[in-house]
Parts: sequence; C-alpha cells; structure tokens
Amino acid sequence: MTLQNIAMSTGFILILIGLYGAMTHKNILRMIVGFTIAGTGTNLVLIAVGYLPGRAAPILNAAVPIETASATIVDPVPQALVLTAIVIGLGVTALMLAFAYKIHATKGTLDISKLTDLKW
Amino acid sequence: MVSPIYLIVITLGAAFLLGLLSERRTELAHFITVLALAAGGLVSFGWLWIMAAEGASAVEIYTAGTKPPFAINLRVGLPEAALLLLIYLTGLMSAIHMKDMLLRKGRRAMAVLLIAIMALAGIIMTRDIFNIFVFFELVAISTGGMVLLSDDPRALSAGIKYLIIAQVISILLLVGIIFTYQATGSLNIDFMKTPELALGGGGTLAFFLLLVPLLVELKPFPANGWALDIYQSAHPAFSAILSAATGSAALFAVDKIMDIGGASWGPVLTGVGLLSFVVSNILALVQKNDRRLLGYSSVAQTGLILAVVGQRELLGESYLFIAGGLLIGHAVAKAGLFYLSDLVKGRMLTNWADLRRNPLLVFAFATFIAMLSGLPPFPGFYAKWELVHALMASGKTGLVVLILFGAILEAGYLFRWFGYLMKRPQSNTPGTLPLRGVLVTMAAALAGWLAAYIWGELSGYDNLLSQTALLFALGFLLIDWFPAKLKNTIAIAGMLAFFWQSYTGYDPIQMIFGIIILVGGAVILLASYHERGQRIGFYPSALLMFAGLAMLIVAEQSFQFFAAWEVLTLGSYFLILRGKNAEPHALSYILFSLAGAFAIIAGFALAAQGQAGFKITALADVAADLAPWVFILLAIGFMTKTAVIGLHIWLPGAHAEAETDVSPMVSGILLKAGLFGIIVLLSNMGSPELYGVKLTYVMLWIGALTALMGNLMAAFQEDAKRLLAYSSIGQMGYAIFGLALMNHLGWLMALMFVINHYIYKSMLFLSVGGVAKRTGTKLMYKMGGLITLMPLSFFVVLIGIIAVSGVPPLSGFGGRWMFYNAILDSENRLPMIIIFISGPIAFLYLFRLIHAIFLGQLKDEHRKLKEPSFWIMVPQVIYVVLLLAFAVLPGMALQKVDTFLNGMFPEGGLNWDGLLITSDYGYWSPVWIMVVTGGIFAAVFMLLLAINRKAQKVKQFNIVYSAERPYRPETTHFAWNFFAPYRKAIWFLLLPIATRFWGGITEALHATAGFMRRFYTGDAQHYVFHLLGFVVGLYLILLGVQ
Amino acid sequence: MTKHMITFLLLLGIGAIFADLLTGFSADQNLNASAEFYATHTVSDTGAANIVTAIIVTFRGLDTLGEVTVLFLTAAIVALVLSGDMAGGFQVKPRRWPVGELLETGTRLLVPLIALFGAYVFINGHLTPGGGFQGGAILASAMLLMLLADPTRRFAHKTIARIESVSGLFYVFIGVLGLALAGGFLDNRILPLGDFGSLLSAGAIPLIYVLIGLKVGAEFSSIMTSLSESEDV
Repeated sequence: MTLQNIAMSTGFILILIGLYGAMTHKNILRMIVGFTIAGTGTNLVLIAVGYLPGRAAPILNAAVPIETASATIVDPVPQALVLTAIVIGLGVTALMLAFAYKIHATKGTLDISKLTDLKW
Repeated sequence: MVSPIYLIVITLGAAFLLGLLSERRTELAHFITVLALAAGGLVSFGWLWIMAAEGASAVEIYTAGTKPPFAINLRVGLPEAALLLLIYLTGLMSAIHMKDMLLRKGRRAMAVLLIAIMALAGIIMTRDIFNIFVFFELVAISTGGMVLLSDDPRALSAGIKYLIIAQVISILLLVGIIFTYQATGSLNIDFMKTPELALGGGGTLAFFLLLVPLLVELKPFPANGWALDIYQSAHPAFSAILSAATGSAALFAVDKIMDIGGASWGPVLTGVGLLSFVVSNILALVQKNDRRLLGYSSVAQTGLILAVVGQRELLGESYLFIAGGLLIGHAVAKAGLFYLSDLVKGRMLTNWADLRRNPLLVFAFATFIAMLSGLPPFPGFYAKWELVHALMASGKTGLVVLILFGAILEAGYLFRWFGYLMKRPQSNTPGTLPLRGVLVTMAAALAGWLAAYIWGELSGYDNLLSQTALLFALGFLLIDWFPAKLKNTIAIAGMLAFFWQSYTGYDPIQMIFGIIILVGGAVILLASYHERGQRIGFYPSALLMFAGLAMLIVAEQSFQFFAAWEVLTLGSYFLILRGKNAEPHALSYILFSLAGAFAIIAGFALAAQGQAGFKITALADVAADLAPWVFILLAIGFMTKTAVIGLHIWLPGAHAEAETDVSPMVSGILLKAGLFGIIVLLSNMGSPELYGVKLTYVMLWIGALTALMGNLMAAFQEDAKRLLAYSSIGQMGYAIFGLALMNHLGWLMALMFVINHYIYKSMLFLSVGGVAKRTGTKLMYKMGGLITLMPLSFFVVLIGIIAVSGVPPLSGFGGRWMFYNAILDSENRLPMIIIFISGPIAFLYLFRLIHAIFLGQLKDEHRKLKEPSFWIMVPQVIYVVLLLAFAVLPGMALQKVDTFLNGMFPEGGLNWDGLLITSDYGYWSPVWIMVVTGGIFAAVFMLLLAINRKAQKVKQFNIVYSAERPYRPETTHFAWNFFAPYRKAIWFLLLPIATRFWGGITEALHATAGFMRRFYTGDAQHYVFHLLGFVVGLYLILLGVQ
Repeated sequence: MTKHMITFLLLLGIGAIFADLLTGFSADQNLNASAEFYATHTVSDTGAANIVTAIIVTFRGLDTLGEVTVLFLTAAIVALVLSGDMAGGFQVKPRRWPVGELLETGTRLLVPLIALFGAYVFINGHLTPGGGFQGGAILASAMLLMLLADPTRRFAHKTIARIESVSGLFYVFIGVLGLALAGGFLDNRILPLGDFGSLLSAGAIPLIYVLIGLKVGAEFSSIMTSLSESEDV
C-alpha cells in the first residue's frame, strides 16, 4: 500500500466515522463534532488525490527551480481547493454553532430529535 | 452592454458596502439593496435582449487574464441570460416584498440576501465545477441565514436541519469533484471528458458522486424533508427565492454537468425527477398547510423539469423551449403564490377565502394555478404539448403516462384550492391587504402573461395571445368594473359580430355549431340582463368559454384544436364555479375535463409522430397499427366532455349547481364541444379495428348504455335541474349512438339533435332555473301548482317536454323519425333495442317535470310568486318560436347538411321534395303533422273545456299531521320518490357504481398520501438517512442496471 | 438500536462507494495538463513563487472571492442569529472566576507578537507557505487570546465591520481594475510583477492577500465576539 492510498483510506474512514457520529448522536454539538471529523477526512482525501510520490511542495525556490518544476512538484490544484474547502467548512461550523446556541436559548434543548415541530 | 462579471461585482460590492452603514440607517440600506438588485436585473435584461432579439452568440468571460481551463471562466448565453434575469427579478421582488422584515433585521440580513442572489448568478455563469461548489456553499449558508427572517419560531429548527443536510451534501460533492478532477485532469466543464455510464471505480463513479449531491440540491424524493420544512416555516418572500431562483440555478447546474456525463446519464435524471414529481404530488393531496403544499408542489415541478433535462438529447432543438417553458411557468407561479401567502393571515388552505375581497388577487391566483397546470396561454402549455409530442414520437409512452398522472394530481389540489378561495367562508376580521404585497404579486402575474406572450411567439404556432376571440374574452378583464348590463351588451354584440365576420368560411357542419355557439350563446346571454351590479368575473369566464368554442370549430391543426379545447375547459370551469354550491362539482368537472384533455393530447401526439403542425385532416393517414390507439385516446377525451356512462359523474352537479343563465350555456352549448370532437374524429378516422372489433361498434354500445342510464337516473331525481342534467347525459348518449352508426341518417339525426338539444335544453334550464330562482328551491316536491302564477313558464316547459320526448308535432319527432330510419339502416340490433327502451323512460322524467312543478297543490309560501323576471323569459320565448319554426321547416338547416353528408355517406340520404321528406322506409311531412296534431289537440282541448264547464273551484286546506311531525316531512309528499315502485324493481341499475369507483380511487390516493407523508418525521437525522439512502439506493440501482 | 443499525447499513453502502473509488483509483505519474500549466507558467504569468498562492489568488481568484464572502456571510449570519440576545444592550454579568495572572500577562506579551506574525504570514503569501487566510486566522487568534484573558472586553463592532467592508470593497475593486487595466477580472498584473522572489513582486497578489488577511481576521473576530458576547447574557 502506498502512502497515497493510506492517506486516502484514512480520509474515507474519517468521513465514515464522522458521519456515524453525526447520525447516531442526538446532541447537536456532538453532531457538529462529527461533521468536523468528516470534513477533515474530506480534506485529507482531497490532498491525497493530488499527491505524487516523492515530489516536493509546489513552492519554487532554490531547491525547486522553475525549469524542473513540472517534474518535481505535486499537483498544486487540490492544495488550492482544500484551502477553500477548509475555510468554507469553518464557516458552516461557526454557523451551526450559532444555531445550536440559539436553539438552546429558545428551546432549552440540544436534542435534535426534539426539533420535530415541522413534519409531514 | 457591460460585462456580466459586473453582476457579481455590483451585488457583492453592495453587500460589502452595507457594512459601512450605521446600524440604524436601515431605509438607506434597503434602498441600496433594491438598487443593486435592480441594476443586476437591468444588466441581465440587456444581455437577454442582445442574445434573443439581436441573436448574439454566447459570451465568454475570462478571469485572471488566463484562458480556461487554467483559470475560471464564466459564460453567458441565451439560457444563462434568461435565468439571470429570473434570479435578479425574483430577488428584487422578494426584497421589496419583505421590506418590513429586512428593516427589522437590519443591514446584515440585506447583505445575506444580496450574497444569496450573487451566488445564484455565479452558479448560472461559471463553467468550473469547483466554483459551482463554492457558490453552492454560499447559497447554502445564506439559505441558513435567510430562513431566520421569519416570524415563525420553528424556522430555527428548519435552519439547523438544512445545515446538517448541507454538510453531508458538501462532503459528497467534494469527494466527487476531486475524483472527477483526477480522472479528467481538469475542473472546467468544457474540458472534461465524458465518462459513459459504467460504475465500478474511476471517472464514472466520480461523476456519480458529483451528480448526486447536485441532484439532492433539487430536493428529490425521498431526500427532501428539509426543504419542505423550510418552505413551511421561512418567510414566503424567501421561499419564493428558494423555489424560483435557487431551484432554477440548481437545475441549470445539473444541466451543465450533464455536458460532462453525457447522454447515458439522462435516464437517471428522468427517473429521479419523475419519482419526485409523482410522489410529491400524491403527498400534496392531503396537505392542509398552504406553504407546505407549495413546497410539495415546488419539489414536484422541479422533478418534472429534471425529468425533461434527462431527455434533452431526445428533445434536441426544442429542449430549451420545453424546459424553459416549464421552468418559467413554475418559477413565476410559485413565486407569486408565495407572495400571496404572505397576504393571507391563516395558514390553512381554506383561509385563502379572504383574498376574495380583492378581485385582482383572485385574477393573480387564477393566473398562477393555470400556469402551474400547464393551461393555455401560458408557457407550460406549449411546453407540455411539445414534450408529450416528442416523447410519444419516440415511443416513451410510459413517461407520458407518469407525467400526465402527476399533472392531474397537481391540478387536483390546485383547483381544489381555488375552489376554497372562491367558496369558503371568509374570516370575520378582514385586515387591510398591504399595498406593497399586492403590487409585487400583480407584478408576478403580469410577468406570467408576458412570458405567455413570448412563448406563444416562440412556439411556431399561432400565438394564442394574438387570437381575436381570446383577446376579446381577456379584454373583459380590463373592463370588469363596468356595470353588468353594459358588459352584457358588449358581449352579445361581440359574439354576433364575430359570427358575422367568420360565417362565410364555415362548412355546413361548422355552420351548425357556429350558429349554436355564437348566435345561440348570444341568445342565452339575453337572460343575463336580469343581473344587477357588476357581476365581476362572469364575463371573462363566459367569453373565454365561447372564445374556446369558436376557435375549436375552425381549428385546422391539432395544436389549435387542443388549445381551444383547453381554453373552453378553463373558461367553463370558472363559469361553473360561480354557482352557490358548485365547489365540489366544479372541481370534479375540471379534473375529468383535464384528464380527458390529457387523453386527447396523447392521442394527437401519437398520431403526429413528431410531425410539426399536424393537421386534423391528417388523422385519416395515421398508420394502421397506431390508428386504433389514436382513436381510443381521442374518443375517451371527447366522450369525457359529453359525459358518457362511467365518465359522467361530474355532469349532474356541474350543470345543476351552476347559475340560472350558466346552466343553459354549459348544457346547451358546451356539451356540443364533445360531439364536435367525435364528429371530427369519425369523419377523419372512420372506424378503425382493434383485435377485430370495430371501435365504432364499441362506441355504439357506449352511446346506447349512456342513453338508457342517463334517462333512468333522470327519472329518479328530486332536484329539477339535476333531472335536466341527467337527461342531458341520456341525450348525448343518443347523439353518440347516432354518430357511431356511421351512416347517413345517423349523422343527420345527430346533427339535428345538436340543434334540438341546444334549443330545448337551454329553454328548459332557463325556465326551471327561473322558477327555482323565485321559489328558492330546486327540489320538485317543494313546488307545485305554479301553473296559475307562472303560466308562461308552464307553457314553455310544456313545449319543451313535447320537443324532448319526440312526440309529434315538434322537432323532436323529426329527430326520432330519422333515428328510427337510421337504425333500420344498420344491423346492430341489440344496442338498438336498448335505445328503443330508453325512449319511454324519458317520458317518466319529463312527466314529473311538469307535473310536480306546475300541477298539484300550490305551497303556502309560494302564493305571492310571480313569473320569473322579464329577461329570463325573453330567450325562452325566442326558443318556443324557434322550436315551432324548426318543427315546420326542418329543411332550413338540414337540407344543406344532408347534401354535405353525401360526401361522406353517399348512400341513404333523404329526398327533400318541397315540404315532404322521404327516406327509403317512408316519408315525413312536418307541416301535415303539425296540422293534424294541432287539430287533434284543439279538438280535445275544446272538448275538455266543454266538459269542465261545471267544475267548481275549491280552496286548498291544510292537512295537519295527526300526532307527530314526520322525521322527514318530504316523505309525506306525493311528488317525493315518485317512481318508488320502479326503483324497487330496478335498484341494481341505479347503484352509483361510477361514483363509488372514482370516489374509491380518490380515497385510495388520499390514504396513500396520508400514510406516506409520515415518512417525513421531522427528525434531522432521519433526513440524513433519507439522503444517504437515496445515494446508496441510486448507486445500487445503477450497479444492478449494468 | 434500529437507528444504529440503519446508520451502519447506510454507511456500509457509502463505504462501498468509497471502496469502489479507492480500487478504481490509479495515481498519476505525471502532472495533468492543468497542473503542468501551473508549474510552467506561474512564474511568467504571475511572478509568484508559491504556486498554490498563485492559483488561489489569481487563476482561481473567483473561488477565493467566494471564500472570503463565505466568511463575511457567516459573520453576518452569526451576528443575525445571536442578535436577539443583544437586543436589550449588553448586560454583562461579572465573571465568577479570575482568569489568572499567567494568562493576563502572557497575553500582553504575546498579542503584539502574534499580530506581527500574522501580518508576516499574509504579506509573504506569494513566496512562502501561508497567505491571507492563514495570516488572518493568526490575527484572529490574537483576538481570541485577548478575549480569553478578559472575557468582559468589548471590541468596537463598528471598527471590525468597517475593516471587513472596506477590505472587501477594495478586493472587489482590485478585481475590477484587472478588468480595466489587465487581462480580466482579478488579473494580478495591474501592478508590475517585480523581481521574482522579492517581497514586492507578483503584481497585486500581496495586496490582495493583505486585504484578505485583514478581512479574514476581522470576520473571525466578529464571529468570536458575537459568540462570546451572547454567552454572557
């Protein structure tokens, strides 16, 4: 198994673990933690996909000269994407926390299964 | 035009700018918001104009000075420009509509709104899949924020549910994006390869993971509980954005990435879409909360459009026209309905009755539901027509069946809702309607009409909104504030003028129908002079019906025919609904009519086989293997309108509960539309055979049974107007029987029937209706002895029943005479016997009509009644004269028709020799018959007078019940259950089997819906289950398919 | 129990899809066309040494604009969600526990250093690992430290909001300048590319990263203060 596969599998497993947590715990805060774990897993998968064995980070300097860059660096695109994904994930997490706070303040509970006044 | 990138710059810039304002300058902030959205709308409109009117090709916008696929690029073509305009206008109208809420929540809320719109515009324009993801996340987050702009405290839980789902979606989407990138080496849609449908690792599976989360954004069943909760609890102006703008953007995103996936993924979209469409429409049936109902409807419509996206390879050039038509119809109507829902206080569907106070809003509501139901002249109508044609041409009958089934369900709950709005009691404390909300709603309605015009222009057919007849009818909307009498004059003049204009082009058959519709309609309208006030809504509806009828008889192409058919259906529905207790009956009328119309559209589509501008006369050339099916579909459609047995249950209520002057219109005139259809069908297609059975033979049986059952049921009615209505069913049965004989005399008889039925049914409905208006009841046992008070009405009814029963000397006899001649020409003995039997049964009910109403004892409470008002009597007198004239000189109308029919059936015509008419079996001399019967009648009458000279008049005395009041007083009345003995004898024929059958279907659907919707438990984690179940299920199905 | 079972089964299905992906995955041996382009053209086109930065700020600048907007949006909504609690003014309850000498003094010492470090990270984003988001987050961590040291501290909301808005507007404005002066929206070549590897190089990238850094710092601060202030009520 290559490093890449290990990283990718770890990412997938993290996603599944995170989702498992989010789907089985009723406490909204725990669910948020679950999604954060799953989000981390996703980011790991993203990075792993862009990895090329034995290559360096896509920053040009003395060690990685421009001329040989295309043969020595890993794919920079997933790295750019993952940064965006992290920031977005962070935004959503903050938003969910705020919602959780507000729900606790107005309904006195953090139990997601009690928020079923809208249904059918 | 400025670069479309400025859409993003302006909107985002405005959002950032709002942060510089002080918290309290909310008015200014709102002004900036509206200004930015309006500017965006203007830019989008500019591009739409450049693309559509000047025919420019799509523009590419490069960012970072680098060409794609290395930098993100945007594209604006015709569909993009149209969608951008839709999004910005929805945003603008919502921002105006929810001004109060936005002012309350401050500048941050407005920034959220602006960013939501900006992100939607981004989804539309960008060509990069990761960029789509970013914009989708922006939409998701801003949705989470906008949900909170609601007075409903439950919005909070809807918001968190949505965020939870959004998390799952984004995880799957990211995995999908990165693996698609890995497989194709690009993130740009235009540079990605097209993996065919083959899962099992690699690019195709990656595409699956890319597609599915985007599909979930479209709220497909079953992964859509979160969306319904949002629709139910969010501010309606935001729901409008979510339904119209977000839904459109998500659909377009799916459409875009289908460029990557290729045609093999189409069936996936169609399957997912249709499942949503049908199931959501079923679930909506039992929904009582207005906003949740709109949510279900949104989900369903989106599903339908998704199904169309899945068929885009098949639809080819008409894809944009169809998908666009459905989309614009859905978006405008749904936004409008959400805006309306903000004007209604209560959340029950029945609370919408309060809107009735404002006719403008009723008009808007009617516009919206017509748009959603795909009725003319709106874009959805053209789209539906093209879609069904394309699908039928390629043999996808199953899809058509599902689509039409879903559509009839949707029409069911939408028109039921309209019935509530028109008929349910209003609340006692009507507040004032906020002007801003009314204006925004009306703007949406106007947008709908504008779209209707545009789609008409694009359609390649005659634009419905440039048809004189239709425009004349719609013109009454503008002058609806005129007094009724003035409008009546305009209507009569208009109809007569239209007839004068067009009669030269009619052939004899069209002439008969043309006279009945236009001149006959004008005669009935004379009765409408008795109404005072404005009578709002009556004239647009009535004229819509007449316009549809007038367009129907001159239609040359199947499209024109069908459009006219739908127009007359819609108009007559509005007309029937005006009756006091008409709500349930009008609903069943429109549902049967629409279902029948669906059979017609399917029939035409099957016949056309993709040929554009299909002429009706081309029905004659339909391939032999298709012909019987085309025949069956069309016949079912037309026979729904004539209410043949089994499909008749809508008629009695609809005709009986209508207003006094409406009943004759819908009975005397509207029913003829169905007959006209059958005439067109038979004259072009003849009699195709299916499995060795002649289809006209089946029709013959249907006609005979309808005649028998209609007459039988009429005999057992207590309600005079219902009696007449059932009688119409029977009469239409005769006419169908005559046509189905497929011989000369049968047709002549049927056409004579068309004329006769118009005259005497209009006459009887008017006189009975006029009497009922005076007595305040339609129940015959509550009347009696009215002959002395209303001698003229009595005389009219007498003439009428003589004419109906077909005894000499009136024209009904002529009909009978021809009928028996026609039967003798034919070989079908058994149905013939049935027809013979139904003749005498007619006597049973006709006798009751005159006996129970006019003879017998006068009721105390009726002693001071007078003849019905003058204007109701006027047409009746005209009809009496006409009947007498037609009896003496049937040749006036029929001789020409007879000659015309020689073209079709050269054999067995009549000989017209002066006043003598000869057939192969005998002769008929109308004048002599009149003279002889008149003589006999006069002699007997004189004799009776002579005998009766000594008769004494006695006063009526009350019979007081000896000890107790009967539980049901009517049981003691002689006229009640008059034919009880017969009822005992033939009870099994009178069982309401058809009513039970259709009622059973309705109940089964409701029960299914009531059970299935429990699936949406409201628990966010269950919603996650649904979502993942959807993903895994789709994956397994696709694996299985391979 | 059924819930666990259903979850397990569903995740088994998702896991199967992932496993399917994994087995079908074959690692690239060379860069694909896009990555190849970035490796060879970044320096000549943008002048940035950090290719990821060049992609983020320039080639995929629209994503980044969206990303910044995500934070702006989140900050706005968090404030909106919690605003109900702040409606009646800030009634701050006295804290029951003192935060401790160590934290307070440490904060005074560390905050300027952290802020400086943050600024360093975002200014050098085009040369070294790092950039506006990272720098902004570091800036905000200084803010967090201050909040931890003194939970009753109130930041000037107005100032934070102004920084957010002005830097956002400037960012959009620079994008438009690219449209007017260079090759398109968000083109960094509105400023000279400078000497490769020096601080003032890579056109507008450092400028954009400064704006992003400020904006991200302000937005994080805004979110944190909103959450922190609502906690006291």
